[in-house]
Amino acid sequence: MRRRAGALGVLSVLIVLALLVPRFGGDYYVHIFALVFTNVILAASLRPSLTCGQLNIGHSAFMSIGAYASALLAKNLAVPFELSLLGGAVLATLVGVVIGYPSLRLRGVYFAMVTVAFVEVIRLIAQLWVSLTRGMSGLSGIPKPNLLGMTLTTKAGQYYLGLALMLIVLLILWKLEHSRLGLIWKSIGMADNLAQSLGVDIARHKLLAFMLGCFFAGIAGAFYAHFIRFLFPPEFGFLMATNILVYNYVGGRGHFAGAIVGAIFLSLLSEPFRGSPYETIFFSIAMLLTILFLPGGLITLPEKLAGLRRWRAAAAPTPSPAA
Amino acid sequence: MPLLETRDLTRHFGGLAAVNHVDLTVEKGEIVGLIGPNGAGKTTCFNLLSGFLRPTAGSIAFDGEDITGRRPHQIAARGLVRTFQLTTLFQEMTALQNVLLGLHLHSGTGLRQLLFSRRDFPPDEVARGREALEFTGLAAHADQLTKNLPHGHQRVLGIAMALAARPRLLLLDEPVTGMNLDESGRVMDLVKTIRGHGTTILLVEHNMKAVMGTCERIVVLNFGQKLSEGTPSEVSTSRDVIQAYLGTGVNHA
Amino acid sequence: MTFALLVQSAIIGTSLGSIYILMALGLTLMFGMMHIINFAHGAVYMLGAFVIYYVFFQGGAPYFAAFVVAMIVLGIFGYLVERSIYRPIRGGIEPTLVALIALTTFLQAAGYPVFGQLDKHVPPVFPGTRNILGVGISIERLMIIPIAAALVVALYLFINRTRLGAAMRAIEQDKEAAALQGVNVNVVNGLAFAIGFALAAASGALMAPIFKLDPMMGEQPLLKAFIIIILGGLGSIPGAILGGLMLGLIDSIVATALGAEPAFLLSFVFIILLLLFRPTGLFGYAP
Repeated sequence: MRRRAGALGVLSVLIVLALLVPRFGGDYYVHIFALVFTNVILAASLRPSLTCGQLNIGHSAFMSIGAYASALLAKNLAVPFELSLLGGAVLATLVGVVIGYPSLRLRGVYFAMVTVAFVEVIRLIAQLWVSLTRGMSGLSGIPKPNLLGMTLTTKAGQYYLGLALMLIVLLILWKLEHSRLGLIWKSIGMADNLAQSLGVDIARHKLLAFMLGCFFAGIAGAFYAHFIRFLFPPEFGFLMATNILVYNYVGGRGHFAGAIVGAIFLSLLSEPFRGSPYETIFFSIAMLLTILFLPGGLITLPEKLAGLRRWRAAAAPTPSPAA
Repeated sequence: MPLLETRDLTRHFGGLAAVNHVDLTVEKGEIVGLIGPNGAGKTTCFNLLSGFLRPTAGSIAFDGEDITGRRPHQIAARGLVRTFQLTTLFQEMTALQNVLLGLHLHSGTGLRQLLFSRRDFPPDEVARGREALEFTGLAAHADQLTKNLPHGHQRVLGIAMALAARPRLLLLDEPVTGMNLDESGRVMDLVKTIRGHGTTILLVEHNMKAVMGTCERIVVLNFGQKLSEGTPSEVSTSRDVIQAYLGTGVNHA
Repeated sequence: MTFALLVQSAIIGTSLGSIYILMALGLTLMFGMMHIINFAHGAVYMLGAFVIYYVFFQGGAPYFAAFVVAMIVLGIFGYLVERSIYRPIRGGIEPTLVALIALTTFLQAAGYPVFGQLDKHVPPVFPGTRNILGVGISIERLMIIPIAAALVVALYLFINRTRLGAAMRAIEQDKEAAALQGVNVNVVNGLAFAIGFALAAASGALMAPIFKLDPMMGEQPLLKAFIIIILGGLGSIPGAILGGLMLGLIDSIVATALGAEPAFLLSFVFIILLLLFRPTGLFGYAP
């Protein structure tokens, strides 16, 4: 109970801080943090699949589908943002079902390999279908997001939209993870044969978890498209996909907060090198170090430090009475 | 009509017949033991019955319905529930959560309940979960992480989970292997109590004392084929069975 | 003309297939023993090509010497990766995969500052063309086939005729039993890493004079190798060889007709369909 109250306290402080960013930070910070929100949504949306034990290294493909679909709907058909956002997410989910259904029957490494190929395929389609996506010239002129017919012209307005989207997505995903559904996902990840023997239709649940991930990755992509207003196929390649995975591992996979902590920590820390090879170098080193030395991720760091302090205290020489 | 009936059940791995033309019947309310030397096909048999393997040939009928080729969760939903050897459990969850997953089959969950209910689990389910723990003597450990439970308790928890799924036929895979006399005696008493509540039981076990003292009927497999079948005393005096076990030393009570 | 084009595509396909086979063999060997997929395989291929660039082109060493250097240096690197990444994680399959992915992205990204931003080119080692059935084929591409075949035969002999090869097969069958028989599982796993890395380096080294060099050049061959081992069944060496040849031929024939990128899309669609109907791969190995 006290832990829960503490977590809620930390959460409300963070939300208040996030609300204050546009007031006190400049456009630079607004921009950076809005991108962080996208990354948080992406990282959290990978959790259902990861919890089921599916190593999905292709998540950026679905972000890309959401981004292109929403951008094209708004740009070519003047669809309002609310609907194009939904359209992007639904299309990402549909494509997810089409490629996910056959591949989810594969276990472990087989699945991981196929997801890598997802990314390439979606990227190639975006690259080759020039009449629709403008291919390697990039898609520009994407309308700014609008809500209830009002266009959000300022970066700050768009920032609040991103914050709201992130909070809604996190709330839904958190709720699902802490429901029976989440427990079932966990059970599949821990021992899928036992789960089956208790009547869990693991194929259906894996697909459901995967579809949820695609849907919310589509949401993240759609927001990204209308915020950055320029889409370029290689942006959504293998690196982006691994980054989403890295957020989860570096943050810690054992707890919902891990995805959030990982996404925020790595996005902010790598900000100075954004777009350069050093960003990736930094990411991969962070990843290797975490896996080798902090397998539980950053969220287990306080625990580890406490353990270390106890161990130090115990090992410290006590004054001997004989002296 | 028998509760479980296999006809000609056969499973090949490559050229090898792990289970070969086995006809097995289990009547309602029985405790049946399935024994045999290592590699006789007992585990394959369990995997076939519970749907984890598809038979190469033959059929399986449960309560009059042909379940051949059904998937594990469909078979479990019909009331044929298995446990696993050793400690296949959800180790990172509490004992209660393990049992709650066992209740999975009998709880309808809508999206509305998933998203908008205040509790993770409805109180009546939690109560039923605690009941299952109570019944198996694990009530005191409900909130402990499974991996921290002693070995014997973990094995019993496996049974408690299967019970929560409300089986009509319970398949127990080596429920007492590796336990001491005292522990195995208690588990075997539990098995009898479970039968007393109306659940039929088919078990695979190496501990001959436990098998002979609990089962009413025993089926002996050897090289994938049914070698012998009968009451414990019939089986333990059968020439063929003693022959098959020579070298492994059958130790009948 | 169409016949000539077909002959040409078939030969180029076989040569491409040989490269894919070398990549896939290492992957499948490592999978068979340790149940991991070496995501770093593409990056090692890239490093193999760069060794050729520096040792052969810049350093002026003979091509075959540079080729052997690439295999040895990256083989040692493979052994070190086993010691410093695979072994400390102790068989956790998922963390190992993620760590290997991290290693890949590290090697690729570090390639830019180390090798420079511009694409590199290695001059032809075997210039000229040869007339086969009335079609001119570049000797460079032709040479790949016997070299790769020699490596495949060497690997086959090593696995089937030597004590270490026997130890590898033993681990593949049953790790615990192999350990009980006195096989030093760690050393043999390290050897599998070394062999897998050396083979990937060899494919990169063979391709260096044909394609342009850049840090991301390993990604396509890696994906191809994935498709091959899914096609041939994980852990199956004959499957990898047949799958490699098939994909090489499909690739070059479809690519001649439609272009390289649609060819890749098609091979992927083919894989999805295959998985739908034969989840264990064409040659029936269980996952």
